Amino acid sequence: MTTSREIVSGEYKFGFHDEVDYLEETKAGLTRETVEAISKFKNEPQWMLDFRLRAYEHFLSRPMPQWGGDLMQIDLNKIVYYRKPSQGEEKSWDDVPDKIKKTFERLGIPEAERKFLAGVGAQYDSEVVYHSVREELSKIGVVFMGTDQGLKEYPELFKKYFATVVPPEDNKFAALNSAVWSGGSFVYVPKGVEVPLPLQAYFRINAENTGQFERTLIIVDEGAKVHYIEGCTAPIYTTDALHAAVVEVIALPGSKVRYTTIQNWSNDVYNLVTKRAHAHANSTVEWIDANTGSKLTMKYPSIYLRGEGATAEVISVAVAGDGQHQDTGAKAIHLAPNTRSRIISKSISKGGGRTTYRGQLKVAPGATGVVASVRCDALLLDEGSRSDTYPYIDIQEDDTTMTHEATVGKISQDQVFYLMSRGLTENEATNLVVQGFLEVFTKELPMEYAIEFNRLVKLEMEGSLG
Amino acid sequence: MTAIEGAAGAAEPKTPAPSGGATPRPARQGPSDLTLSFVDEATVRRTAGAAADPDWLVEDRLAGLHAFDALPIETNQLYTTYIDLRNARLAAARPYTSPALTDTRASAAKLLPDGAAAYAEIREDRVAALVLSPEAREAGVILETLADLSGRDPELFRRLLEGGCALPENDKLAQMTRALWSQGLVLYVPDGVRLERPVVLRWVVGAPAMALLSRTVISLGEGAEVAVVEEQESADGSAAGDGSAAGDDQAFFAGTTEVQIGAGSILSFAGLQDLSLRQVAFQHRSAVLGKGATVRWALAQLGSRIIRSRIDNRLEGNGSAVEQAEIFFGSADQIFDLTSYTHHIGRDTTGNLLSKGALADRSRGYMKGLATIDESAHGTDSFLGEFGMLLSRQARSVAIPSLEIDQPDCRRVAHASSVGPVDETQLFYLESRGLDPEEARKAIVLGYLEPVVARVPLESARERLRELLEKKWDDRIVARPTAAAVA
Repeated sequence: MTTSREIVSGEYKFGFHDEVDYLEETKAGLTRETVEAISKFKNEPQWMLDFRLRAYEHFLSRPMPQWGGDLMQIDLNKIVYYRKPSQGEEKSWDDVPDKIKKTFERLGIPEAERKFLAGVGAQYDSEVVYHSVREELSKIGVVFMGTDQGLKEYPELFKKYFATVVPPEDNKFAALNSAVWSGGSFVYVPKGVEVPLPLQAYFRINAENTGQFERTLIIVDEGAKVHYIEGCTAPIYTTDALHAAVVEVIALPGSKVRYTTIQNWSNDVYNLVTKRAHAHANSTVEWIDANTGSKLTMKYPSIYLRGEGATAEVISVAVAGDGQHQDTGAKAIHLAPNTRSRIISKSISKGGGRTTYRGQLKVAPGATGVVASVRCDALLLDEGSRSDTYPYIDIQEDDTTMTHEATVGKISQDQVFYLMSRGLTENEATNLVVQGFLEVFTKELPMEYAIEFNRLVKLEMEGSLG
Repeated sequence: MTAIEGAAGAAEPKTPAPSGGATPRPARQGPSDLTLSFVDEATVRRTAGAAADPDWLVEDRLAGLHAFDALPIETNQLYTTYIDLRNARLAAARPYTSPALTDTRASAAKLLPDGAAAYAEIREDRVAALVLSPEAREAGVILETLADLSGRDPELFRRLLEGGCALPENDKLAQMTRALWSQGLVLYVPDGVRLERPVVLRWVVGAPAMALLSRTVISLGEGAEVAVVEEQESADGSAAGDGSAAGDDQAFFAGTTEVQIGAGSILSFAGLQDLSLRQVAFQHRSAVLGKGATVRWALAQLGSRIIRSRIDNRLEGNGSAVEQAEIFFGSADQIFDLTSYTHHIGRDTTGNLLSKGALADRSRGYMKGLATIDESAHGTDSFLGEFGMLLSRQARSVAIPSLEIDQPDCRRVAHASSVGPVDETQLFYLESRGLDPEEARKAIVLGYLEPVVARVPLESARERLRELLEKKWDDRIVARPTAAAVA
């Protein structure tokens, strides 16, 4: 149990920082040589090097985005684009270097594994250092490994799907990721296989000024089912780190994929992530996405409904405190008939924080019989905080049924008063109201995560009444 | 790059332009390209000279010209991916540069429309009517052209044009009007005057390749109340049924409504736009609201090949309120680009905004509404609703109802949007009552647009709007089989 004193102090509990000897790393800054060096370190095939260089050229030619959050403070020349903390991947927990292990232990990974992990891919800086897949998963043919390893062991499958959902030209930070990507998860679930437990990966940024550019590729074959969970914590540093990930999900006909994220980077991280899924016929894709950490997050999990009868759901939660800007949202792009989507967004701004919902709902010509809904609710807890809502709703078929609703408000004083009359302090009462506001999200999480998430929100809320 | 562009780009891969064709094609017009060859300093000076402008006004026009040159067509990044001016053919357009002079003999012959307190009619560059009822005249109401006012009362003229009703500074097209306006009307209602009957302003335009740029200034003193009906119509009859062959020179009309409204005053403004399909029209309406003031906009957009409208409501005074209802009904390949900015600054202000559109054929509607609540705006009540009904598979509806909130202490902040087809349950009910399916659909669509019709303060204008909507519906049905001929 966390004591109340710890909560009140509001100290970032995952803010420890290990000294690690980095065996291989590139010089700070990004040049063509950096990109070539990364590919060489990894001993990659020529096509991947060509891909990286093409992305690098595009990254250079593309201007910085002028919308969303303030990106001007990022100094791209100070970032180390690649570093490798240990030699190769470890098969067993005992072989993981002690310093790294300690970090994970403090995050509770082994425990979580014992309880219900189906597999662990823990990312320490830029390379997957620990990886285990339960025997039963291997038996049913489920592939869950680091993306670099995936490229080596499943070259054809990898090449067939890699960058088909998010091409390097998509946006500046997708181009950056494509040029220097390292690590991330590679998942393949064969036809008809239902993965019984969530696949989990912990990601961490370590070392000052390390950019983390993981690349995740998830392929779910026909009729298969999987739940992937990504949780993030990062140590606190005084200068700004950059996290520019790309996640691609391919849901083949009749499959079901859920991707859950709890993003809790420390408050100096720029988190600029492109997450996108292709939903083929009769498949279901769900993004369950929470953002409580980082200095600036710009992330809009997207689903392209490409096959008839596909279903999309996004539940997005953002909490922004002092100095934070959560510019998040969702996109549902209906490209096929009789597809459905539902987007729910909940955001909380406090202590001068800023949340922005930015979303897009599009129904393309030919996508008849679409049913879509978007709901955005925002709570503003105090003066000086800010909340913006920018939904784009673009409908090009006449039989679409689309509804959108948004509200912005403060915490109901009636509810707080009622709870206080029942003996709760104002702080506790407010916490409870906030937890209720976010319940649509937390109830979708596995229990351990729901508990952890509620704890995170509680920590975030501390001091907000003072 | 925007988040939206990224998505659209990947969804619809761009095909490279075919190369190696025998005849070189003219450069393709981008969605935000707009050729207006007449906007230059010589034309500005000629316009100012013809109006015998005082120096301060010449400077004001030149400032507008410089802003026009410096600004992009859309300064708000939220909307840069949703501009479509490709159907505008204005390269040959020439502006009227001389102000219309009032021919008192001609206008005296025009009687006031039934039930109106005052009436002004501008046809292209001349004043066809300018009449005040004795009641309005005795109350000190002024309705005249800006040119007449400039000669008669230069100080009031300057006060009205400079007095806080500035056109939006970040809007290229508004700044063009500021630089080059040649026609204008002013309606001035003194303190405490409440006109029971509405003032009617009518603009009749549409001469090919001619550009009419005008300003309308409405100024209400404290505790005043007036209703205004503004009709914009085509010189050759209703918009409906027009051909719109590509390449034909279009007519161009840029007009403003600049409202200054004193404490406790009420302005009800109904606008009926039924210009020809050979018309490109830009409208800028702005209101600065004092303490306890109320502005009610009821706007119907039916005509024009392209109508680009922007409304700015600045709720500065405590307790001020704006009610805005806008409808549009599109057919053929019309584009309705409708933006509104509602800025809550004072305490306990209210913004209630509703947009509703029905889109037939290949028409497109863009509803861009942004409500901003400043930190000073305690007790705000803000609602923004954007609703679309698509009547054809080729039509397109885009809604971007946005909020920017800096003050948590609000009564209500919400927006809602929906897009859907004609409701089957309603259709079934009406058919069960004996209507045939087409009649039933018509009743549902016209009923859907009725909220604005009911807010038009003049019976005859209300009836006319109903007729226009019906005609629009009927023409849509006729136009359908020959849609290809329109292209």
